[in-house]
Amino acid sequence: MTGAPVRFVFDPELAAFQLTPEHPFKPVRYELVRTLLLAAGVLTADEVVAPTPVGDDDLLTIHDADYVEMVRAASDPARRPPDVELQRYGLATSDNPVFPRMHELVRGVVAATVTAVELVATGRALRASSFAGGLHHAMRDKASGFCVYNDLAVAMRRAVDVHGMRVAYVDVDAHHGDGVQWLFYDDPNVLTISLHESGRYLFPGTGFTYETGNGRGRGTAVNMPLEPFTDDDSFVDAYEAVVPAAVERFAPDLIVLQAGADMHHRDPLANLNLSLAGMTHAFTRTVELADRHAGGRLVVTGGGGYDPYRTVPRAWSLAWSALSGRELPSDLPASWRAGWTQRLGVELPATFDDPAPPPVPRRAAIASRNRSVADRLMAQLADIWGVTLQP
Amino acid sequence: MLVADVMTRQVVAIGPDTPIRDVQALMEQRNIRHFPILEGRAAPGQPDALVGIVSDRDVRLVGADHPKAPAGVRSSDPISRLMVTDVVTAHPGDPIEETAKAMRTRKIGAMPVMDEGSLVGIVTAADLLDALVKMSGVEQASARLEVEVANRPGALAELLGLIADRRVNVVSVMTTRGDAETVSFVLRVSTVDAHGLARHLRRAGVTVAWPPEKQAVP
Repeated sequence: MTGAPVRFVFDPELAAFQLTPEHPFKPVRYELVRTLLLAAGVLTADEVVAPTPVGDDDLLTIHDADYVEMVRAASDPARRPPDVELQRYGLATSDNPVFPRMHELVRGVVAATVTAVELVATGRALRASSFAGGLHHAMRDKASGFCVYNDLAVAMRRAVDVHGMRVAYVDVDAHHGDGVQWLFYDDPNVLTISLHESGRYLFPGTGFTYETGNGRGRGTAVNMPLEPFTDDDSFVDAYEAVVPAAVERFAPDLIVLQAGADMHHRDPLANLNLSLAGMTHAFTRTVELADRHAGGRLVVTGGGGYDPYRTVPRAWSLAWSALSGRELPSDLPASWRAGWTQRLGVELPATFDDPAPPPVPRRAAIASRNRSVADRLMAQLADIWGVTLQP
Repeated sequence: MLVADVMTRQVVAIGPDTPIRDVQALMEQRNIRHFPILEGRAAPGQPDALVGIVSDRDVRLVGADHPKAPAGVRSSDPISRLMVTDVVTAHPGDPIEETAKAMRTRKIGAMPVMDEGSLVGIVTAADLLDALVKMSGVEQASARLEVEVANRPGALAELLGLIADRRVNVVSVMTTRGDAETVSFVLRVSTVDAHGLARHLRRAGVTVAWPPEKQAVP
């Protein structure tokens, strides 16, 4: 297989659980992606590596001990605390229902992302993916938005503390990457960049341009809120206005891309109007930025993505294609479609080609508003950074 | 929410004899815009009396070439020459909406907070804006939900009951519009799946203005 040495971190157990039957977060997505990449001939079996387990001490580099203990207790039916107690930690809610072995399974997600970062930090791979990872809403002391432990934060903490790296985090999930942002808000060694549907409308309600970091970390949080119904062109415009300049100035040793797939117009939880083309632009450009500014080192995780069968497998295959530099065929392999259609009872798309949705009537106003927010954001950052940015 | 919840308790107060230039310096150093002015009372054990208030605008205009600059006042003069003596004050137990209304009608930017004759704090327009942010719930991870319900007893309770059925916590509720027939509310709800919640509410007959209607995925 040609291209850079790349690894796909995966464990069947990561894809085998389900929160509740009707929960929109579907771990089967990871198995869909793995099998699609193998069938499409852009991933080889020896590139798929199992995560190296992590211990509770690794979780404690980010999470409070009483929170981890609460998750452990909740995971054991014999000693499950009452709901009112769990709900103080964001658990036993519609978003974060308690399920058997929750602690072990989500710690396994953390292990997958830590493994991906370790492979890249130690030079055993140039780039790696952890599509089960990307639980960007989890807080120090609280579960939030389908996320129990923050795999991204644990892995990035390790890259900074153990490997002495500066890490640039780029989050293109439709929702603001609030957990990661707040966990590194004071940290000058981690740049967090999030592009997302504006918090005025969408969960979690944060990620405004004035959130720019604190103390020694001032200027290392970057937020580009997008108007509802933003389309490919306006998204690409915003990405280009914000991400390259911020990454270049920060000069990272590693880029972590949270490639949530819910900016797509078919996503049932968000209200953006992107097609796979706009999302692919973010993937390929972030890989280019890693090549230019971070010695090529890049870790890609999953995240949101609630059109799990039609959109997510294609979106993350495109992310893998960008990461590995391997071109996908134009059609999805027939064997893959047939097998999964039978298993899921859902008709799957035949090609990677993804026509853009019809433009919304307010398209021009939306683009103009996004542009002015991006300009204001960059002027504000230039002020903090003490630099003059090229338009 | 009450004034006591949002006011600043560490008040920098000055005496009426303080030279204006010292007040100017204090404003710059401490980044403070309003100073209550206190004067000691004759009787021992009595709290100092509030005799005036001065704002950064009054102080900055001293000696300036400006039509509203106070005539004949120099920066070596005592602050008592500049202070407003008809002071509008608040009580720690006042509801903040009342305080906000007083600030708007009197066109002032801050109110000393007095309790039984003692200065216990100061409340500013910025404090009230912070309170608004807090009340709208955006400090907690949540999504926006905009609904219209019938203007009758129990309608809001039914709505909240429907939300509770889904095990979703309500972070805040604000009224945005109302008439004889209907009332609109903006709620912040702690769920990523606001569309799922909206479908649940629409099925129960609630008019949901945001999020927009969207198909569930098979």
